[in-house]
Amino acid sequence: MKTTGPGTATDTVTSRLTARGLTLAYEDRTVVHELDLAVPDGRVTVIVGPNACGKSTTLRALGRLLKPAGGAVLLDGTELSRIPTRKIAQAVGLLPQTPVAPEAITVSDLVARGRQPHQHWWQQWSDADERAVTEAMERTDVTALAERSVDELSGGQRQRVWIAMALAQDTDLLLLDEPTTYLDIAHQVEVLDLVRKLAAPAADGTRGRTVVTVLHDLNQAARYADHLVAMKAGRIVAEGRPEDVVTAGLVREVFGLEAVIVPDPVTGSPLVVPGAPWKPSAPSPRKAS
Amino acid sequence: MSTDTAVPARKVPVRPAGYGVVRIGARARFLLHRRSALVSLGLAALLAALCVAYLCVGESFVAPTEVVKVVLGQPSPDELVVGTLRLPRMVVGLLVGLAFGVAGALIQTVARNPLASPDIIGVSQGAGALTVGAMTFGVTSYTVLPYLSVLGGILAAVLVYVFAWRGGLHATRFVLIGIGFAVALRSVTTLFLTKGDYLVAQQAQIWMTGSLNGRGWNEAAPIGWTLLVLLPAVLWAARAQRTVSMDDDTATALGVRLGRVRLGLVALGVVLASVATGTAGPVDFVALLAPQIARRMTRTAQIPLLSSALLGAVVVVLGDLLARRLFSPTELPVGVLTAAVGAPYLIWLIIRGHGGRSGGNA
Repeated sequence: MKTTGPGTATDTVTSRLTARGLTLAYEDRTVVHELDLAVPDGRVTVIVGPNACGKSTTLRALGRLLKPAGGAVLLDGTELSRIPTRKIAQAVGLLPQTPVAPEAITVSDLVARGRQPHQHWWQQWSDADERAVTEAMERTDVTALAERSVDELSGGQRQRVWIAMALAQDTDLLLLDEPTTYLDIAHQVEVLDLVRKLAAPAADGTRGRTVVTVLHDLNQAARYADHLVAMKAGRIVAEGRPEDVVTAGLVREVFGLEAVIVPDPVTGSPLVVPGAPWKPSAPSPRKAS
Repeated sequence: MSTDTAVPARKVPVRPAGYGVVRIGARARFLLHRRSALVSLGLAALLAALCVAYLCVGESFVAPTEVVKVVLGQPSPDELVVGTLRLPRMVVGLLVGLAFGVAGALIQTVARNPLASPDIIGVSQGAGALTVGAMTFGVTSYTVLPYLSVLGGILAAVLVYVFAWRGGLHATRFVLIGIGFAVALRSVTTLFLTKGDYLVAQQAQIWMTGSLNGRGWNEAAPIGWTLLVLLPAVLWAARAQRTVSMDDDTATALGVRLGRVRLGLVALGVVLASVATGTAGPVDFVALLAPQIARRMTRTAQIPLLSSALLGAVVVVLGDLLARRLFSPTELPVGVLTAAVGAPYLIWLIIRGHGGRSGGNA
């Protein structure tokens, strides 16, 4: 996935969303320490790291769901806390890890609620709303499910519906918190392929969406990211292009795992293979069935 | 996953399923849930029929034609029975039902729990405690007591809200603390009752079951004005419900100032419930029942406010009609009837294990 679209020289990348000296804490437990991050526009940024490294917390702060204990998140140079939340919602879409739909809501009704930040009480359904919802449902391939109840969908379908809702919000930036959790491998690939498509430049050369997502699977991260951010214990350990970042040394440092890095046979992106083979510690007295 | 090369010619525009778009003028457009609109029309018709029946039936039967004449202000021999005795009491019942219906819908929306209603989470009990307390201390004036019960209801709600607040409003904690306060306040009321004079206790007991007996235009005016003044707020609430019914993170991501919106919805619900309680006493279970039945009828994703209000009015007017006639000449308080229907429903709700949606991918 080495996207070298028109004019993507890495040194001229702009960033609408940045974090400066960001410190995040739950009550008095500090989870993220003075983190600096510039999210490259029009790219897919993937944050990886071991459990409890603060990656989801960082994403939540980027989407103003968590107030910083120190430092700030800036959108176009202005602190998020100084921008009305509705204004933020017109620029930044966010899909939480486990969103909860109102009971018995239909797919199209849920997706339509993504239009909230663009609507007024006297203007509840504009042509733009209709366009955005129609397009979002088409891109995620849920149009056929429009009349169905969200409750009765499969995990993969439901996730696509939620992404459709976030897309209908029609924002330049999209934050996805572990969008592949609870999905089987085929649906994981489906969602990640969709994420790539969202960031791809349009046919007329306009920039694609900026996506920031947290992923658990390092190999998927390496395969789908333009920009990979590796975190450990609330700090960024390394960031950059996956082929530069994912090394045996980094995997050891971040995950504490001995690994061999080989090129992915399909995409050529780095593939992490645990290095020490599994050995039976003692001969098992029980026979395998 | 569809590819981007799909035939672009067959793009069918998608609208939220079940909604129609109503255009008013050049720019204003409203989403109207078709089924909700039909249900509301049906309920309004049913309510109108019940109201006529309410005015016809009583100690003496009055023909519907005479009833209509009196309501329209034309001279009629039944002016006294219908216009002076039955009509004001019916109007009070109607308004109380509307207020309880909306109040229950709003509080259930915020708590995301069908068990949450003003008569479960302490509002009615707060109103009861303060009113009965005042009665035992010699306040018997019916012009003062309703205001005291409004005050009591609001105070109880503020207490519950403050105790449930921990850096944010957690729906389940809100309901549980509310139930706790309800029990505590009920025992305070009992304490007042046992300390108080026998006659006071009897009077308080009747008030506490919720009764429309003896209510007239004097009681109808304050609650009527309150409903009218709060109408814009109720319209706002109907729109706000759409996002509040989502989880906190999603709602915030959609640009909703959740803390304020929730506070607004709860405050509105509590004021309505308190005013209704102050007018007729705690008519139990109306606020609990109406929103849930209304939602099952409209099949909307959020609790429909208009249908809830109408259903609340239907329940109270029908309840009082039955309460007046069922064991005539003995009149039952309307609260007895609503409780007789509501209590089994509450038990059914709990047995079905529908105590709220806590999980994500249920």
